[in-house]
Amino acid sequence: MAVRRASVRGKVSFLLCLFVFLVTLTTEDGCVLGIEIWYTGSVSSVIIQLTINSVIVGALYTLIAVGFTLSYGVGKFFNLAHGVMTAIGAYAVFYLTKGLQVNVWLALILALVFVGVVGWLLERFIYAPLRAKKASNLVLLVASLGAFTALQGLLSIIFSSQIQTLSQGRAVQQVFTIFGATITHIQVVTVVVAALVVVSLVVLLRFTLFGKAVRAVSDDEEVSKIVGINTARVIGIVFFIASAVAGLAGILVGFDTAIEPTMGMALLLKGIIAAIVGGIGSVYGAVLGAFLLGFAENFGIWKISGEWKDAIAFGLLIIFLLFRPRGILHT
Amino acid sequence: MSAMAVKNIVKRFEGVCALDGLSLEIARGAVVGIVGPNGSGKSTLINVLSGMLQIDDGSLYIGGEMVRMRGPHRMSAYGITRTFQEVRLFEQMTVLDNVLVVLARRSVIASLFRRQEVRFDADARLALEMVGLWEKRSDLASTLSYGQRKLLEIARVLVMQDMQVYLFDEPFAGLFPAMVKTVVGVIQDLRRQRKSVVLIEHNMDLIRQLSDTVIAMDEGKLLAQGTPEEVLARQEVVGVYLGV
Amino acid sequence: MQELIYYFTHLLIMVSLYAILALGLNLVVGYTGLLSVMHSAFYGVGAYASALFMTQLGITFFVAIILSVLIAVVISLGIGLVLSKFDGDYYALGSLGFGVILYSIFLSWKGLTRGALGIPQIPKPVLFGFDFSQITVFLLLVLVALAGVYLFSHFVVRSSFGRVLMAIREDERAIQVFGYNTLYFKLTVSVLGAAIAAIAGSLFASYITYINPSSFTTMESVYLLSVIILGGLASLRGSLIGALSLVLLFEGLRYVGLSGEVAAHAREVLYGVILIVLMLYRPQGLVGNYKL
Repeated sequence: MAVRRASVRGKVSFLLCLFVFLVTLTTEDGCVLGIEIWYTGSVSSVIIQLTINSVIVGALYTLIAVGFTLSYGVGKFFNLAHGVMTAIGAYAVFYLTKGLQVNVWLALILALVFVGVVGWLLERFIYAPLRAKKASNLVLLVASLGAFTALQGLLSIIFSSQIQTLSQGRAVQQVFTIFGATITHIQVVTVVVAALVVVSLVVLLRFTLFGKAVRAVSDDEEVSKIVGINTARVIGIVFFIASAVAGLAGILVGFDTAIEPTMGMALLLKGIIAAIVGGIGSVYGAVLGAFLLGFAENFGIWKISGEWKDAIAFGLLIIFLLFRPRGILHT
Repeated sequence: MSAMAVKNIVKRFEGVCALDGLSLEIARGAVVGIVGPNGSGKSTLINVLSGMLQIDDGSLYIGGEMVRMRGPHRMSAYGITRTFQEVRLFEQMTVLDNVLVVLARRSVIASLFRRQEVRFDADARLALEMVGLWEKRSDLASTLSYGQRKLLEIARVLVMQDMQVYLFDEPFAGLFPAMVKTVVGVIQDLRRQRKSVVLIEHNMDLIRQLSDTVIAMDEGKLLAQGTPEEVLARQEVVGVYLGV
Repeated sequence: MQELIYYFTHLLIMVSLYAILALGLNLVVGYTGLLSVMHSAFYGVGAYASALFMTQLGITFFVAIILSVLIAVVISLGIGLVLSKFDGDYYALGSLGFGVILYSIFLSWKGLTRGALGIPQIPKPVLFGFDFSQITVFLLLVLVALAGVYLFSHFVVRSSFGRVLMAIREDERAIQVFGYNTLYFKLTVSVLGAAIAAIAGSLFASYITYINPSSFTTMESVYLLSVIILGGLASLRGSLIGALSLVLLFEGLRYVGLSGEVAAHAREVLYGVILIVLMLYRPQGLVGNYKL
């Protein structure tokens, strides 16, 4: 009895905290630190625009979070190098289309394979040997942080830290208008692609032998080895897929706005937050977390400056870590 | 006179009752042996008595007074200390530091400004010599053999000041005969000093040799209680052990 | 000749500042096992606080440094209370989050920090009419601070308190059973780490005379981690060696003919590779006493 009461109290205080957090951000009180009023215009059109924006970034964060959550599931550590995959994917397309004049679709496929291979190489030559040595997950985290820093630096050296864009020829993208709110062509594509990726991942994990192996390895690597699963290969493939999906996210960002070598950190942080808020290890959780984060960020900056987005995202993370450390979907 | 007692304590893990309305008393100066099959709740009991687990129901008495449990760090102030079934040493610290660390002041300020006292070194030396690890004092704990690790844990509780109740969770498991003899000596010493000892052990010869009282547990409940001869002869105690 | 002396003095000052930062971080990461990825944020708090005290209120450097340390203490106490609920990789993540939040404040609370424009014209220290604006004199000041921080850290890690910190790092639950309220110990060491970082920040602000948020990014925290991991976790000597070797290594990059921007990125590559290689082959660093 005492236990149940305690957990109810925990839930209530958690929801209260989340509520207060969102309210302080969206009311005038939130302006204590911020100065600019971000949106002008009628309230209802603002709400529609904010909703659309939330869905778009939600879709984008989903693409990063699902890969992060899958690689956490099989590797059991926070793979921070996951973030730099977005930049690698974007720059691969940039190099292929603008440098080598390759057809966009071919470039896209080559870039995704390339990013996947980079992810696989990290797993094969850094993480797998560390796991074989029974290294703690902190060691793996630091090693992946090193990989992130080194790869990001390499990109900056090769491509310079100047901002680039992937979009072809047309200076302005096609823009759609819904109820007075605008959405670009690539943003529609982003939402559709994210939906497709999630559906295919769910099908892959649920209905194939490979998916069964992934779930077994996520449950217990040792036991999976004993029952004859080639765990090294399964983990390698998961890292390949996760990195390729992250690369896809980076490419979409590149077509919509712009790319720079340091783009990975912000995207990675959002992906991690989404994965943890949703419940790490679960694909559905990652999707849920990504959209929750998307809405919190966009409605959070309704009345304050957009620069506070990162702080808002981490505020959300810390609230979840305190009150629901295992995420929405974890029971 | 009871050093420690529990009444009707309940501890659940995700619906499973690890302790189910258990009551027992630990007399001052007595060695209480606890026997029971794996999963009968012995280690959970030790974890509750040492404050590492909060109970869901029931009450805990120390020296006749009811005590509310507020975190494991309070329990040593009541004179309770323990060893672990799965040895928990401070691996990347030296053998000597593993013992000295429990002698530091409990308050931050005092531990910063009260430097090492000579008496502490003498106490640590005494405890390490008792378990034969003084020669290894500068080695890292992680380099010790399994048996030595168990002995270091025992040295660590021996050096604690003013303890009344010692909770030993399978201290003999995996020890060589010579080491078993050392630990038997330690427990007999504690008994002579009128300390209470709670001993979880599967070896019935050691239980017979050391215990004043034996408590048999099964499925989180008290199965039998009494002198070793009485309890170990009981049909149901033999039954749960053999799985009949 | 004059220029060469100036250059080496500058290098020594930077090495010393990094060494001070590394000493504070090593208390938290190396001795207590809390993988903090927000150290550069407290460096920033110290720099901004003292810069603002000096430029806005006209407070003299030696008072400003004390006030900024106090501010860092208060902030780290609040953050430490929240982070005390986590350990291991979740602590790392939570601290990363607080690092980003503090950086957002430097960048976005424009009314206070002027955002990306930064704060110019930070005065040099003056004590009883004695002027520290000459670089060699400033070096002396920094070296005195380094020596003070080193001795203080030595005092901390050699005390019984330091031994309890290491036990917390090894097995927090176990040391609790022996009667230690580990919350207080962890809070104290976080506060000490932040205070030391704030000292370095104040010195940095006054030395460079201009600060902006780009010196206090998450990447800077990663650099600081590589300094202490390379030098050696749980080793004060290691912090000094790490700071010296990494700052000099970075300078060396310029002499193999790399231009400013490329050298900066080559530094990132180098730090990243160092972290990976250390994790794979020598997780305790050069002279460390603790493997993550």
